Amino acid sequence: MRLVRAELLKMRRRTATYVTFAVALVLMVGLFLIAGAAGAFDISGLGLIEFPASYAFINEFCFGLGGLLAVVYAAVYVGADWNWGVVRNVVARGESRTNYLLAKGVALAIVLAIAVVVMYAVGIATLYVVGWLFNVPVASPLRANGLSDLLTNMLLGYPVLLERAALGFGVAVLLRSQIAGAVVGIVLFLGESIVRLILTGLALGGSVSSFGDNGFVQKGPEWFQYLPISVGDYVINSAPGNSLSIGGGLEQFVLRPVPLPEALIAVFIYLALATLVGVVAINRQEIA
Amino acid sequence: MTPDTVAQPAVPAQPPVNADLAVATRGLVKSYGRHKALVGLDMSVPSGKVYGFLGPNGSGKTTALRLLTGLLRPNAGTIALFGTAYTWHDRKRLFRVGSLIETPSFYPYMSGYENLLVLSAAGPPTDKGRISQVLDYVGMGGRAKDAVQTYSLGMKQRLGIAAAMVSNPDLLLLDEPANGLDPGGMVAMRETLRYFTRQLGKTVVISSHLLHEVEQLADVVGIIDSGRLLREGDLQQLLDDAGRVKVRVAVADMTRAAEILRRFAPDRPLYGIDSGEQAGQFTVGVAPARSAEINKALADAGIFAMGLEPGSDLESLFLELTGSGGAVHDRPTSTSLAPLGGPLPPSPGAGQ
Repeated sequence: MRLVRAELLKMRRRTATYVTFAVALVLMVGLFLIAGAAGAFDISGLGLIEFPASYAFINEFCFGLGGLLAVVYAAVYVGADWNWGVVRNVVARGESRTNYLLAKGVALAIVLAIAVVVMYAVGIATLYVVGWLFNVPVASPLRANGLSDLLTNMLLGYPVLLERAALGFGVAVLLRSQIAGAVVGIVLFLGESIVRLILTGLALGGSVSSFGDNGFVQKGPEWFQYLPISVGDYVINSAPGNSLSIGGGLEQFVLRPVPLPEALIAVFIYLALATLVGVVAINRQEIA
Repeated sequence: MTPDTVAQPAVPAQPPVNADLAVATRGLVKSYGRHKALVGLDMSVPSGKVYGFLGPNGSGKTTALRLLTGLLRPNAGTIALFGTAYTWHDRKRLFRVGSLIETPSFYPYMSGYENLLVLSAAGPPTDKGRISQVLDYVGMGGRAKDAVQTYSLGMKQRLGIAAAMVSNPDLLLLDEPANGLDPGGMVAMRETLRYFTRQLGKTVVISSHLLHEVEQLADVVGIIDSGRLLREGDLQQLLDDAGRVKVRVAVADMTRAAEILRRFAPDRPLYGIDSGEQAGQFTVGVAPARSAEINKALADAGIFAMGLEPGSDLESLFLELTGSGGAVHDRPTSTSLAPLGGPLPPSPGAGQ
């Protein structure tokens, strides 16, 4: 527990924590204002900003952009201990390397949970402001199933955010560098999206003959839909109001989505694997 | 019986390990790829003493300290801490060890106090009150709330020493602790470490290339070069064994004087300077007490010594053992040392 408290203090004192969070918030608020001006929130055709559908917009930032920022932040946060040489101090004091790394993971999970709650609160408040500024009625976020939808969105998105952070975390420990961890994390994040697009195109090529009486016949799920970023998208998309949201695009017409239970299990497996990679790596490392 | 235990008797004449030793390494080997940093280090650090660990750059001092603190795995050999074997997985043994390895490393954006606070969360349970105590101890109490990135190198060094002491360890391993310290800081560190050993009965291993500093502080020294311990023992005893007498004669008498002086220490190098301000000066490797004898021998041969300076110092011993290129005051300034015989000292700058 004292290790987790120490890690929380490190993050609290670090400017990168606030900068990363500010980037997400500023982009979200700015784009909500622009979207509000363009009337883009009227997705239901009812002429109002309607929850739970509007949670999709918050999700875009919280778990879409937030996922990318989580990869980078986790890599920077954990990799810095190698860059600054402080991991040497900890190991030389006889601390368990596993406990040390897991404490970092737990502290990171706590900070990300706080970030999600704040993002949602700011996101909902911003939607109200947008409604007020552009004269669009805002439906209550808690109307009908609003509260359960809100919780479902957050509960499904949070493990995905953790999984993505764990990728940056694991890579940074493996490479013993914050910069290398962040760069590899970004490449993984963006690279997988590109690879997925290409593979979807190839899958589409083989499915042209699938037009039948009932329209387009979807394939899959294909193996590449289980890649770490993609499978996380399926979890987020399963939340209320998100069907056409993150990771949508072409593939949602061509490929069957990965079922939620499977996707969720895959996310947890990736989360555990990335953490395990970090733990094994730090326990095998000689620290110069 | 494991292959390891079968192999052990083959290691030649390793000194025994006993409970009076805070640290004992036997046949310690560590390689970085093809480079062998340690090639069978046998190091014995008695409890309650200051152990000066001396060696030229790249001799293996820091590698040895990293092995002692579990940062590196040895390729072969054993380590005993406080009389019992220590292995890579036996991390809790390090709860009794405080260390400053190489450069002090801290979170630059946190204050000195906060750095010690987060550090003390790891390893042995540490009383928070002790953080302020050790910060005052190293003279950093006044800057404890400032971010480390605003500290000078000397202040970081002081903080590093405080970090090593924060859990009240029985053994302190300090790698070049005087780096960046001003003269006041060096005096304070010396007093602190003396208090640590003499009043509290704890053990300090101090690795350094500042021979004068070690000479003032250490009870026991170990001199390492090329990954092997060349000499180890009580400092005063080593200095007595490695005494020297500086003799100055007229340049014209140098060849004859060299013949006489070489007889006093046939097994040790004889250094002579035949030009420059110190022309005519010899350094003879004999016990200081023999200076009168030298004077008489020269006088009997009709050579009059213009100066005679008995003494012994760690630097001479260090240079003699390591062949390091730091012997500026003893090195001839011209190539005419060769006729004097004896081993030619290394060229200026070698090993630096």
